[in-house]
Amino acid sequence: MNTFLERYSSTNAVSQLKRAQRLAEEEDEFTDSAWGSQAGYGQLMNGPPSFTVPNVPDPSSFLRLHTDDHADPNCRIKIQHGTTTLAFRFQGGVIVAVDSRATAGSYIASGTVKKVIEINPYLLGTMAGGAADCQYWETYLGMHCRLHELRNRERISVSAASKYLSNLVYSYKGMGLSMGTMICGWDKTGPAIFYVDSDGTRLKGDLFSVGSGSTFAYGVLDQGYRWDLTDAEAQELGRRSIYAAGHRDAFSGNTCNLYHVKENGWEFIANYDISKLHYDGPGDVAGSPGHGYGYGIRVQGRSSANPPEATAAA
Amino acid sequence: MATAPVHQPSGFSFENKLRNDFLVEKGIPLPKATSTGTTIVGCLFKDGIILGADTRATEGPIVADKNCEKIHYITESIRCCGAGTAADTEFTTALISSNMELHGLETGRKPRVVTAMTMLKQYLYRYQGHVGAALVLGGVDATGPQLFTIHPHGSTDKLPYVTMGSGSLAAMAVFESGWKANMEREDALNLVKAAIAAGIFNDLGSGSNIDACIITANHTEMLRNVEMPNQRVQKERDYKFRRGTTAWKKEEVRKLVVDEQVTLLGGGDEMDVS
Amino acid sequence: MPGMVSMTQPIQQSFNPYTENGGTILAIAGADFTVIAGDTRQSEGYSIQTRYAPKVFRLTDKAVLAVNGFAADGNMFVKKVRQRLEWYRHAHAKDMPIRAIARLIQTMLYARRFFPYYVYNILGGIEEDGTGAVYSFDPVGSYEREACRAAGAAQSLVQPFLDNQIYFKNQTPAAGTAFPKHLPLSTVLPLVIDSFTSATERHIEVGDGLEIYVVLARNSTALAGLQSLRGVQEVTGTNDGERVFVIRRDLKKD
Repeated sequence: MNTFLERYSSTNAVSQLKRAQRLAEEEDEFTDSAWGSQAGYGQLMNGPPSFTVPNVPDPSSFLRLHTDDHADPNCRIKIQHGTTTLAFRFQGGVIVAVDSRATAGSYIASGTVKKVIEINPYLLGTMAGGAADCQYWETYLGMHCRLHELRNRERISVSAASKYLSNLVYSYKGMGLSMGTMICGWDKTGPAIFYVDSDGTRLKGDLFSVGSGSTFAYGVLDQGYRWDLTDAEAQELGRRSIYAAGHRDAFSGNTCNLYHVKENGWEFIANYDISKLHYDGPGDVAGSPGHGYGYGIRVQGRSSANPPEATAAA
Repeated sequence: MATAPVHQPSGFSFENKLRNDFLVEKGIPLPKATSTGTTIVGCLFKDGIILGADTRATEGPIVADKNCEKIHYITESIRCCGAGTAADTEFTTALISSNMELHGLETGRKPRVVTAMTMLKQYLYRYQGHVGAALVLGGVDATGPQLFTIHPHGSTDKLPYVTMGSGSLAAMAVFESGWKANMEREDALNLVKAAIAAGIFNDLGSGSNIDACIITANHTEMLRNVEMPNQRVQKERDYKFRRGTTAWKKEEVRKLVVDEQVTLLGGGDEMDVS
Repeated sequence: MPGMVSMTQPIQQSFNPYTENGGTILAIAGADFTVIAGDTRQSEGYSIQTRYAPKVFRLTDKAVLAVNGFAADGNMFVKKVRQRLEWYRHAHAKDMPIRAIARLIQTMLYARRFFPYYVYNILGGIEEDGTGAVYSFDPVGSYEREACRAAGAAQSLVQPFLDNQIYFKNQTPAAGTAFPKHLPLSTVLPLVIDSFTSATERHIEVGDGLEIYVVLARNSTALAGLQSLRGVQEVTGTNDGERVFVIRRDLKKD
């Protein structure tokens, strides 16, 4: 408790000395640990990392001026946007599926982004909004989850982990962070998903989709979702939903990354090319329809006079 | 006979201006016009005028044309270099060229450079700078060699050596240090080449080759690509694609030749062509 | 519509510490080598500030960093990365592995999340397992390991070309064959040179000079072909086994 007091009190001798030292130092406050391997994330014990802020009356409007592509499409620093991510809970655990496209304006900056962040072997986070914000804070979250394990001799619950993240981003509210993430895992309570975003929202739920393509994903997801889905059916549903978003949303696409969280931690299922899904389907995997997902392929050569088999049976 | 219910003024339509200004304000920029970033120059020498231009046309930072022509024809002994919006320089000079031809036919004399200059400045002034043409006009007429610059808003200058466009400062530096009155043709041409080269190499809006045009009292010589200092080096690889590289969804072969059967109507008499 | 809201808010106009200095960088990873290249023109608006301003920097014998965007931020950033790598050398008596450098760059960029370095970074080199690696970053530190990446002014001209020639995007292989997963250095170098000569043709901010760094893994098979090349210069600093070379070429100056 004393260490806490020392860190946060502004009047005691130690903190005044620290402040004097800080003034004497350069703009980047390198501690001794920066010389060794404890640099960067390693300085956890000194509290949350510090950030350089421009010396202007309103730093967040400065940031908005230079980065926000809504306010100014020609601004210089492009932060990547546009995504489809989804996660749902079912009898067999949690399915997490995401696309892999990063866009900067109308340019596809990358088609191979890893939007599932492997926080640790039993926790996954998804990435929507600012890529760096999600990567950085979810990595940071992973380190705190490990510290929690060391302190409490048990794994952190999904609820606690997500709340840690939510509190953290809430403390930066209004500064311009942009993230919409789902923290997925399996703890004592079973499979769990929490939606956390940079506004400070934190929601527990069975089924979420986040990003510009989420409406398309929800369309497929809601239509096919049941609690008692088999593993194969659930994986197919995740895959098919991301395909739908990749097909209809210009800011989502390229490939689909599929993860399945089970009792013993997450498992990476596979990476699927979305145009391959359209023409050929996912290949020889559990739950596959055995052909492409594309409308043209599903109804090839069919008309009202010669209806597809499924319709004819109905 | 129905007439249009609204007044239709002649000339340009500005009906979308308000809408476009609003869109720009909302963060939707107007499509970029091709501009000729450009270095254009002109100078007086002993026997007449030499005009010079680079050959790069740009759309923002992208090179739209590596070898465009910026020295436009007005009459046989009057030429005009254009900088600014490519379409505006081309159409303005073409329009004035037509009017100069008509003027010549009407008066029965060779039209003068000042005539072209006056027509251009009056035309540009009318549009208050919305026609984005910055011009160097030069030629030889009954009053001797004449050289003008015309700015997009309609102002003009009459000087012995002039430059315009984004490379005008680089080119003017060369003129200021090297131009002398009554230069020989060879020296003047070299000076113009040096001025354009200064623009090509020091101004990102200008590039590629040098065009020049030498106008004297009884002869005009258009020196297209008189220098080509920026030839592309040979590529390291050749990029040929194997037949069948492009995937296709379906194949359909159609016969494009239509078989026709012609049935003659009437008596089948031959057509009367007399 | 979020765009509508920010339009009506007052926006700070007076403090603008950023400019764009043009130029383009790219990096391609091979099986046991990596190529990192950049042009040497530095410009502002329509003016050339200098025809020789390096954008590619050797960090260690296994890592080379290319920076593009705002040159002042870029140079400062490289300086600070090098300082941190030197401290690491003093503390551990070895060079930092490239995947650690990548993470270091992330934390350094993210420390400026609210006052970003206007810099696009591409880090290339050799991984501890001896494979070629390319890491690309956005200005605030998100990163990804890739096989090839172009950034900067002519990014949108070069990257599609690389996608087609390196990843064989939009190309179908002949029946019964497959495209190679890794290309040899003898193919990659011509592709890099052609990328830059082509970008120079069509982008006004690219030109003047080209600097290509080649990082070879221990016992890389690419060594023999490299040493016979015109104007190749070795800049290796240690005897760890990895070797770094520079190849310089002229680009058009208009």
